[in-house]
Amino acid sequence: MRVSRRTVLIGSTASLVATTLRAQQASEVVIGVIYPLSGASAQIGVDAQHAFNTAADIINTVHDLDLPLAKSAGLPGLGGAKVRLIFADHQADPQKGRAEAERLITQEKVAAIVGTYQSAVAVTVSETCERYEIPYLSADNSSPSLNRRGLKFYFRAAAHDEMFSAAMFDFFDALKKKGQKIETLALFHEDTIFGTDSSNAQLKLAGDRGYKVVANIKYRANSPSLTAEVQQLKAADADVLMPSSYTTDGILLVKTMGELGYLPKAMVAQDAGFAEKALYDAVGDKITGVISRGSFSLDLAAKRPSVGKVNDLYKARSGKDLNDYSSRQFMALIVLADAIDRAKSAEGEKIRASLVATDLPGERTIMPWKRVKFDETGQNNDADPVLLQWTGGKFVTIYPAQAAIAEAIWPMNKT
Amino acid sequence: MLTTATIVQSLASGLLMGLLYGLIAVGLALIFGLMDVVNFAHGEFLMAAMYAALGCSVFLALDPLIAAPLVAAALFAFGALVYLGIVRFAVRAKTNAGMVQIFATFGLAIVMRGLAQWLFTPDYRSIPSSWIGNRTVSIAGIFLPLPQLVGAVVAIAAFAGLYLVIRRTDFGRALEATREDAGAVALVGIDRNRVFAYGWGLGAALVGLAGAIMATFFYIYPDVGASFALIAYVTVALGGFGSVFGAFAGGIIVGLVEATTAMILPPALKSVGIYAVYLGVVFFRPRGLFGSI
Repeated sequence: MRVSRRTVLIGSTASLVATTLRAQQASEVVIGVIYPLSGASAQIGVDAQHAFNTAADIINTVHDLDLPLAKSAGLPGLGGAKVRLIFADHQADPQKGRAEAERLITQEKVAAIVGTYQSAVAVTVSETCERYEIPYLSADNSSPSLNRRGLKFYFRAAAHDEMFSAAMFDFFDALKKKGQKIETLALFHEDTIFGTDSSNAQLKLAGDRGYKVVANIKYRANSPSLTAEVQQLKAADADVLMPSSYTTDGILLVKTMGELGYLPKAMVAQDAGFAEKALYDAVGDKITGVISRGSFSLDLAAKRPSVGKVNDLYKARSGKDLNDYSSRQFMALIVLADAIDRAKSAEGEKIRASLVATDLPGERTIMPWKRVKFDETGQNNDADPVLLQWTGGKFVTIYPAQAAIAEAIWPMNKT
Repeated sequence: MLTTATIVQSLASGLLMGLLYGLIAVGLALIFGLMDVVNFAHGEFLMAAMYAALGCSVFLALDPLIAAPLVAAALFAFGALVYLGIVRFAVRAKTNAGMVQIFATFGLAIVMRGLAQWLFTPDYRSIPSSWIGNRTVSIAGIFLPLPQLVGAVVAIAAFAGLYLVIRRTDFGRALEATREDAGAVALVGIDRNRVFAYGWGLGAALVGLAGAIMATFFYIYPDVGASFALIAYVTVALGGFGSVFGAFAGGIIVGLVEATTAMILPPALKSVGIYAVYLGVVFFRPRGLFGSI
């Protein structure tokens, strides 16, 4: 076969074009990040930006951390391509979220989107992603309905609200096996969606697992007085008191309990007010041993060394420690980038397949999770929440076993 | 289940809370009785008093009980200033006077809330330790929290003092006379503006007293006044607009009805009892139980 100069020229040009194309493709992967950057929850968005930038920095440069992509510069699967983030502001408005997702996908050509803090915005953003066949990774949305809409491109590595309540009952079951007497529960919840959803989930779990709910007290949020409510709690005297309250009512609850001479045997709270510094500043000394749930705790550093190092990197940017939200946001980008790296492609369908195949052991995250593995709805069911106990003026992780650094003090008034 | 102990406990708690409700509401009743103006910033006066007590505790290391007279004095000045600076002009409106008054005090409420958010941030605060905070008196299994107990004593003393001031002093007579006929008093040499300013000061001072006591057992944040203000309006309407004694009785009724309702109905519905009684009063005695209008 005669090889003409022209053929050679065409051939070499073609291969040159192919190389440049690949090089261009490999140079960067664009990921869209949609958060409230203005308005009432702007602080969340600003902290989130720091968390995502910390994660991008770890992916794009070499770090000595036991996290996916930390030890390499860029994504090795894509020839060392760097991750570039584009931030968009949804102002806590689902319609703005939809518009921004559309803009990121069609104009900025993002490979995937992460977001969004508010679950209501996640609904529209993930539907838009579904339409364009672009993966949406939910970093910190906790509404249980999100993964039950039959979306193919929706993934959530973190826990949803029902898993938080389930963790409390897992904890009770574990204590019972150790010989503690836990038979009766008292639910105390405020009357907006947070409190009612929480108590409904707890009622159902209590029924399923054979705990007796001796008091289920719904109160009006921001009541001027909780005396009558606390009297009923005192009369019921359950083995565990389970409040779902925001800060104001939480403070008043604890104060009123003190005034009426009621100290429950144990208290296991649904986050919210009982995760707030203001509550512990006001009444922390009266409820030593109270337990609350969370997604993250800094003392995990004792078991997972990368937690401390990532926290230092984050703190250098934001001036704050990682918390429930920033830790999940950080982890979401790592999980997403890891999937893109294994997909060796920035195409939506390939990233999706790679996300489906994800199986990341918990030790290689900064979270208390067992592992990251998505079920057919895109939910990671191994994203264990933690239970934290307030002792000696700080929170200590006591559950689950893989994250615990101390035994639970039970009942709480033993302290 | 209802045992004697729980019933007595509920009624005792209700009575203590009720006296405090009365003390919060009486300033509102006084101002309304004096010049037919409803102060929609009443809850914010309470909030300001609570922050003032907090400030005295944090910066001057004064116990809220000691600070209470100071807070009341500060609120007296503030109330008088509000009259001289805002309300005095609002009541002069030629058209739609009622609306102008409502918007003037309502606007003041929004400004005060905004200022508090700006100056103190929306964080929840509380006074960590005070002489009476976190203490409880237990009598035969009935728990009476010391802050509310002291609050009740202060409320009764304040009402007694107020009664004496209105009935036995020249100022009280001037107050009554101005209330009867604000135009005619000018003819006998009473300065109407001065009486009104003192009236606003006195009303604010009373809510200041309540705020200082409440700061010992309640959390403090910019919106704290809202839920108490609502109860104060109901208390005043129940007791009778303008009647100082009505506010006292109204407060006790509201406290007791609230406690009794919570014994029978689920606690989330405890306000239902108050509003049911209120509705009954509006139907059968629209001027309120002790109202004279």
